[in-house]
Amino acid sequence: MAAPIQPERTPAQRVAETAVLIACALGFLAACIAIPWPKDGPSKLSMEGIGVFVAAGLTLIMYSFLYRDNPLFKVAENLYVGVSLGYGAMMTWYLSLKPEVVDPLVFAPTGEARVDALLHRTVPILLGFLLLTRLSRKHGWLSRYAYTIMIGWGAGIGIPIVVHTYILKQLGPSVQPLTGNVWDILGGVVILVGTVSVLFYFFFSVEHKGAGGAVSRVGIWFLMVSFGASFGYTVMGRVSLLIGRVVFLLRDWLQLNL
Amino acid sequence: MFYKRTIPLIIVFVTGLLAFVHEFVPHPISAAFREEMTTWFRIIGGFGMFIGVYSLLHMHTMRVRRQQAGWGYSAFVFLGAAAMIVAGIVNEPHGPLGPAPEDGTMFDWFYMNVQVPCGATIFSLLAFFMASAAFRTFRARNIEAALLLVAAVIVMFGRVPLSAMISDAFPRAADVLLECPNLAAKRGILLGVSLGAISQSLRILFGIERTYMGGGGD
Amino acid sequence: MSAPDASLRKALLARRVVYLLLAAAIIVTALAKIKMKVVPSPLSRQVYDRIEKLAKDKPGAPILLSFDYDPSAKEELYPMSQALLRHAFRRNLRPIVMTFWLNGVGLCKELLERTAKEAGKESGTGFVFLAYKPGGSNLLLNMGESLKGAFDKDFYGKPTEGMPALAGVASLRDIPVVVGIAAGSSTEMWIAYGRDRFGFDLAAGCTAVIAPDLYPFLQSDQLFGLLGGLRGAADYEVLIGKPDSGVGGMPAQSVAHFLIIGLILVANAHVFLRWLKRRREA
Repeated sequence: MAAPIQPERTPAQRVAETAVLIACALGFLAACIAIPWPKDGPSKLSMEGIGVFVAAGLTLIMYSFLYRDNPLFKVAENLYVGVSLGYGAMMTWYLSLKPEVVDPLVFAPTGEARVDALLHRTVPILLGFLLLTRLSRKHGWLSRYAYTIMIGWGAGIGIPIVVHTYILKQLGPSVQPLTGNVWDILGGVVILVGTVSVLFYFFFSVEHKGAGGAVSRVGIWFLMVSFGASFGYTVMGRVSLLIGRVVFLLRDWLQLNL
Repeated sequence: MFYKRTIPLIIVFVTGLLAFVHEFVPHPISAAFREEMTTWFRIIGGFGMFIGVYSLLHMHTMRVRRQQAGWGYSAFVFLGAAAMIVAGIVNEPHGPLGPAPEDGTMFDWFYMNVQVPCGATIFSLLAFFMASAAFRTFRARNIEAALLLVAAVIVMFGRVPLSAMISDAFPRAADVLLECPNLAAKRGILLGVSLGAISQSLRILFGIERTYMGGGGD
Repeated sequence: MSAPDASLRKALLARRVVYLLLAAAIIVTALAKIKMKVVPSPLSRQVYDRIEKLAKDKPGAPILLSFDYDPSAKEELYPMSQALLRHAFRRNLRPIVMTFWLNGVGLCKELLERTAKEAGKESGTGFVFLAYKPGGSNLLLNMGESLKGAFDKDFYGKPTEGMPALAGVASLRDIPVVVGIAAGSSTEMWIAYGRDRFGFDLAAGCTAVIAPDLYPFLQSDQLFGLLGGLRGAADYEVLIGKPDSGVGGMPAQSVAHFLIIGLILVANAHVFLRWLKRRREA
């Protein structure tokens, strides 16, 4: 994560900030020891208890980035990347490669099942290995055989699906008969005008001048309203994430009754 | 050239054509073909993870080897990955050939206490950045910016319960804004993107678009 | 101090003041234990009503819940996933749970096992956890042909063939209702490669960021309901009568929104007054 641009620090400021960082770390450890935990819950020294302290420590380290990028944040960030990578790799083994490749071929319950697996799985497994040649500069072109099958399939099957789901099914409700009460009619008109004007705005083959320019300008207004709505919702989403972490710190770490 | 470029282009065209045509053939053979192909992709997909793992570890190895700025921190990428892989292989009590790790294993512990809090917190930092950016840059300087600002305020205000306690009109205003002008604009974008996707698919099928071939010889 | 350095410091100070205000607003509201009445939106109610109808028309019917998110969206989507699972278990439906996000498997597992334990349901009979398979849209097409072919074993390594929780479910065509909870574009995938081909009813739950993008699908009836962000979770918790972290988060959410709106208005008022002053001087 890139840190916001900040003014240069003097050597004295650096020393002071490092001291504050160390004091915060010690304060966190002291808080972990001093906070009274309920007797009926897990003990502080159980794996669950230590887990809460580790999670709380990492959460606070992540928030230290708000003050300034610092070594503890970089450690936590890199550790997170490594753990995510290891998790992904092991889960791919347990949920994909083992049940799809190893189990059917090596641990097939019957000979018949093994023959069936060989028949249906040999080609995709070979293509999977071909995919790995991408890692070689010399033999990387071999991976194209695997990629092209996937890309060709995706492109071919995607055309009718996109036409059906995203075009035909979306065009229908845009041009509904204007019936119902005045608000329904007004809503229908707004949707039609908005959809057409936004589409026109993205139509670059005609110069946006005169009447075309006016339609395109209406399209921009609709887009701005929609971007504003998205911004509002985005703020809502990010605040929700923050609330979740604050509640975790207050309730699970500090054991406060919220 | 023939093996490196022509055959892949033929494969794209033939596979794409088969995928397209079988959609319009309501026959058991067509369904069986689809099932076979989608099974293939399920299996091939698993191998893709190796490329991701290798690329990331390679990047960090290079960072260490070239001693780039902050290279020492890369050690924690290796440490985290190694801890998870070892815990995943040990997978008490089943081992690597048993089912996926259960609750209470070290693997699960690392996930719940390192990956989950870090992932959740990193994204929550954006709440601060958005609030600060809104304060410092969100200005109604012209009609477009004013529309954006007003829409954002209506949605932010209307979507929380406190506004409904003041007046029902606020959540209703947010609903109307989302269900009419927002819907219209999103639909316009959706239609535009869909037309673009179709044209891109056709370019791929006919070999005009070839960037997916990447490097690795011509 | 040079002029650019001074302006950088001023901007830094403004930024840190905003950070502190936001943090203080959320912490104080959380500690104040404020309760706030949440009135469910019509879109959330539509999801609830459809699941109620399913439980009434087809007791013990399967319902597929796809939790397509990872820890980065946990605080937003986990509460609504929990509320949906509680609803499904309470109505004795058979949740079939899966995810398209590899890094979300652990969260799904933890949530499913905890809510199942609360409801006294067992894996294989009361619910099934299919977990994850790669393939994305191709996996959906595969599930549309044969669900047990796509997932021949569940997360725990038990064969899905003959599993009571999957009785009568050969493919996606046999599942009447699917709810996709998404932090990315998987809702569009569920619509295009699932709902429009195999005919089930689809509802979406999603992070607030992507909620506005899904409105076109609501009007075209490709989605029958929408739970947007933590507010959607709060709505659903109210509907099932079990308030939890969604409802609990709403006071802080309200105060934070009011603070951000206030900051925007103050900044704009400042610019407007400066403009007015310049105009008068001119």
